[in-house]
Amino acid sequence: MADVEHVQVKFFTKQEQYSVPDTLFSVPASVDSKQLSQLINSLLQGDAKTEGDEDLVKFDFLLDGEILRTALNHLLQEKEVSSEAVIELEYVERQPAPYPENSLLHDDWVSAVQAAGENILSGSYDNTVRLWNTQGEPVMTIPAHADPVKCVAWIRHDTSDIESTFVSGSHDQTAVIWRWHKERNEVDCIHVCKGHSGTVNCVSVSPSKEKMCTVSWDKMLKLWSADCLPEDEPESDRPRKKKKTAASKAQTRVPILTLSGHNDAVTAVQWVDDTSVVTSSRDQTVRIWDLKQAVQSNLLQGSEAIFDVAYSPLNGLLVVASASRHIHLYDPRSKEGAVVKQSFTSHTGWVVSVDWSRNNEHLFLSGAYDSILKLWDIRRQDFYVHVFLDLLPKAPLYNMHGHEDKILSVDWSVPELILSGGADNNLKIHHYNVTS
Amino acid sequence: MNVSEEEKLHSSDNESDSESEGDLLSENESSSEDITESSSDSGSDSDTESESEDEENAPNGDIRSGDAEKQEKPKDEYAEDSSDEEDIRNTVGNIPMEWYRDYAHLGYDVAGQKVAKGSKGDELDEFLDKMENPDYWRTVTDKLTGQKTVLSDDDIDLIKRIQKGCHPSSSENLHEPWIDFFSSETMIHPVTNRPADKRSFIPSKWEKLKVGQMVHAIKMGWMKPRQEKKVKEEQEFYNLWKDDEEPEITKRYRQHIPAPKEIPGGHAESYRPPPEYLFTKEEEEKWREQEPDERRINFIPQSFSSLRLLPAYDRFIKERFERCLDLYLCPRQRKMRMNVNPEDLIPKLPKPQDLRPFPTAEYLASIVFKGHTDIVRSISVHPSGQWLATGSDDGTVRFWEEITGRCWRKVDVGGKVSSVAWNPDPNLCLVAVAVNTSVILINPRLGDKLIVSNTDSSVLSFGQEEDNSTVAEKKLPVNWIPSDLNLNDYKAGILLRVEHNKEVSQVTWHAKGDYFATVMPQGGSMSVFIHQLTRRRTQNPFSKPKGLVQKVMFHPVRPYLFVATQKYVRVYNLLKQQLVKKLQTNCKWVSSMDVHPGGDNVIIGSYDCRLSWFDLDLSTKPYQTLRHHKKAIRQVTYHRRYPLFASASDDGTVIVCHGMVYSDLLQNPLIVPVKILRGHGTQKGLGVTDCQFHPLQPWLFSAGADGTVRLYR
Repeated sequence: MADVEHVQVKFFTKQEQYSVPDTLFSVPASVDSKQLSQLINSLLQGDAKTEGDEDLVKFDFLLDGEILRTALNHLLQEKEVSSEAVIELEYVERQPAPYPENSLLHDDWVSAVQAAGENILSGSYDNTVRLWNTQGEPVMTIPAHADPVKCVAWIRHDTSDIESTFVSGSHDQTAVIWRWHKERNEVDCIHVCKGHSGTVNCVSVSPSKEKMCTVSWDKMLKLWSADCLPEDEPESDRPRKKKKTAASKAQTRVPILTLSGHNDAVTAVQWVDDTSVVTSSRDQTVRIWDLKQAVQSNLLQGSEAIFDVAYSPLNGLLVVASASRHIHLYDPRSKEGAVVKQSFTSHTGWVVSVDWSRNNEHLFLSGAYDSILKLWDIRRQDFYVHVFLDLLPKAPLYNMHGHEDKILSVDWSVPELILSGGADNNLKIHHYNVTS
Repeated sequence: MNVSEEEKLHSSDNESDSESEGDLLSENESSSEDITESSSDSGSDSDTESESEDEENAPNGDIRSGDAEKQEKPKDEYAEDSSDEEDIRNTVGNIPMEWYRDYAHLGYDVAGQKVAKGSKGDELDEFLDKMENPDYWRTVTDKLTGQKTVLSDDDIDLIKRIQKGCHPSSSENLHEPWIDFFSSETMIHPVTNRPADKRSFIPSKWEKLKVGQMVHAIKMGWMKPRQEKKVKEEQEFYNLWKDDEEPEITKRYRQHIPAPKEIPGGHAESYRPPPEYLFTKEEEEKWREQEPDERRINFIPQSFSSLRLLPAYDRFIKERFERCLDLYLCPRQRKMRMNVNPEDLIPKLPKPQDLRPFPTAEYLASIVFKGHTDIVRSISVHPSGQWLATGSDDGTVRFWEEITGRCWRKVDVGGKVSSVAWNPDPNLCLVAVAVNTSVILINPRLGDKLIVSNTDSSVLSFGQEEDNSTVAEKKLPVNWIPSDLNLNDYKAGILLRVEHNKEVSQVTWHAKGDYFATVMPQGGSMSVFIHQLTRRRTQNPFSKPKGLVQKVMFHPVRPYLFVATQKYVRVYNLLKQQLVKKLQTNCKWVSSMDVHPGGDNVIIGSYDCRLSWFDLDLSTKPYQTLRHHKKAIRQVTYHRRYPLFASASDDGTVIVCHGMVYSDLLQNPLIVPVKILRGHGTQKGLGVTDCQFHPLQPWLFSAGADGTVRLYR
């Protein structure tokens, strides 16, 4: 061991519960963060040494705001820090890693996925919508559409209620509102929303659960009523599109409002609040619409066809996935200056789906055609602020491998569940331990 | 009377004075000269003669006046100023005195008495006189009287002044200070203050008369105004070689060409060079073997113990001669060397980064469409960009969802597909597929349900109306077979078959979607057919074979048809049925062609690796030819929206170029290669067989011989 180079290290932290005495340590230069983490743990626990790894708190170590990922001497070389001087290492508790929980096999590509409460809804290219519970057991398979399903969304889902409602949109240009009776395990098609003349790309239900918006390849944004009160029986003999969805109660519903403005297919929609929605389009724009006045209230110009947009009510920011490997963070409130606040570059394929965490304003998910699901922290750039002038984070918090083909859809509606559906016919469930 | 008076008045010294006057000069001369000379006879003779004449002419009066002044200053000047009143003691008159040489007397005085000659002493007396008499030098002999007179001081002064060339009178000053009365300066008190003449301000009557006459003469035409002389004509010849900016002489100064310098001698040329400069034997041998031109030095260094032993320089003449040759052959003119930075010669092209967007292929291909089992021959993108149709050698046409790369539908057409083309009409959902000898119209049943069902019904209904006309044009070997009877075909979406007699290599739609053209390279005179979908009619636009037709394209706006044969592209006006243009491609074999959406530019790809850009307004020859591919070009294509074009080649690459066409007619298109897209492998000598741009996005689809279709962003 004598020939191994040692460096002098001093530890400090901002998290008070993990603070250690301000003493110098001499550690081998080739030490990595795991070993350092053990060292901190042993300091914290004093003499009482435990063998079990699970008791240990995992830490991330930062040198001048850069996370230690490999051996310490590599980082020292990279940052050209002398190994003679005393190195001050900051440590923070590591964000918990999501771990793979389940993989739900479908018959075809999983193009849409959303969770609510104990249940997961998925849409597939075999024209079906499937219901699962969080344990990964199939609840129901609904032959919902005549063409592949593009999007699904829960309208009302309460664990206490015996009835839940959800909506699915499809290549067959319709969105269908379904009612699921849990006890009887029956699904009724309540309403068929007809009006689009192209694939329904995305559907989003308003926070108040009364309205929903669909966007389509026909460049239109349509607003529908989302109430699913069973209406009068006699209207059931209207001509129906689908035999398979043959719920006799299905009624055709027409849009309340149709908004045009995009010059190309609209790819995604999400409610900002009860009166406005944000849409993204392949015409390289993100637009925000005021539905009360039926006007476009804001336009953010990108530089690529945009595939997905997600809005977080916690921080009011938009995360945008476009036809490139970059994810951009937009601030819709900024009137002047660059719209793009940050860029996140790590994917090696088109990013097609993004979703914000519902309870942590810093975290979001992204799924891309490189079949890797990534978890990002937008604060992450704080660590790099001194190093990179462009504030480019080097890497996401976590990469979640597992998919063997393109990821088509991701969902983080339930904070504990990270869902992703891909072209390998799988719906992957990752469990995420929610901290504070 | 006068004379006598004078005699009385004048004293003897006066007498002597006057005597001295008479022979003043001659005597003086003689006195200054040698005694011997003055005594010599002949010389003195001539002298005295001339002197006497002089004496007569001028000086007499002056001297006299001088005398008078001197003597009688208080007297009136004019009182005795009379030549008559001279005291004349000898009255012989003005004769040469030699005449009295032989006489004892010298003439006669007034009284008639002989004037005796002065006793002439002998030489000894003379000498003694000279020695003793202090006034000897100023003593002169009066020739008239023979008396000796001594000149006074005033006389001496006078003589001296005359000798100097001054004015004889000392009181006279010839160089008085000059007073400039008529100076240029205007004085307060002018020298003359005469008023101007009256005539100077009265117009001249004479001139008036003269002018009046001339005016009248001009009026009457008798007098013509003088014609101006013609401006000197330009020189007939001019110096063609003259450098007009710089005169010859300054040029010579400026562009002085110094004589070539002689190389100064080195150590080796010394009479006793250091030993290291001396040749060894080998070196000397080597030196002798070398050609004179190749030698490093043109002599053999030699060493002498002292300068004395140095022999005469044997190479002197030769060296001088060579020097003369150097001077003679030295350049007389400065050679103007082109001092150009090679990079300046390259045309200035913008950087590719500034020309975004274009497909960049960050990770080889964004989406790979896998499914075909054989060479994919043709791609066509739905006008909305949502769908993609590909035809392959495996006998299928596949329809893909562009965004996910999902194969949506597969139609078995039972033969190698050579070409697929979406109908550009947004109200139809129809794909034309060229398979073997037929063109199949397929409804892929994608997109809007309404359009899909409309397409089915309308395409089939077109047939029913036009049955008669097809019969009428039976002579053409084209057969329209609607497939409504064939249920299997209809389920697969095949609506119509258009059977030809030869293999169809290409099918292309007119921009409005009603007409489509087919190419049968082996068809001879019937190698191009234009079909009308709505009337199910077929026309053969050309009665004569024009060569092996490779591709045809409709003009996007005008009723023109571009027909590419092996070496030429002909542009026909379909309405007027005439040839508009014939483009010379300079290629050996044209493989592909595309027309710019503006319609004024065409790109041609050829099997000899060239891509030629034609500007139809500019010329029938290529505006620019790009040779970036290493193997045959299979397909060239323009982007409908962005200023991009691409070429697909057998070397497995697609090269994307920026091709900006300006609306300003004066500005030529800007062509910049921006990206090489790789990813396709090569199989059976084929690489990329087709490439098409996305109609709305700056994306590119390429079909490869490896059975894949790739989307590059």
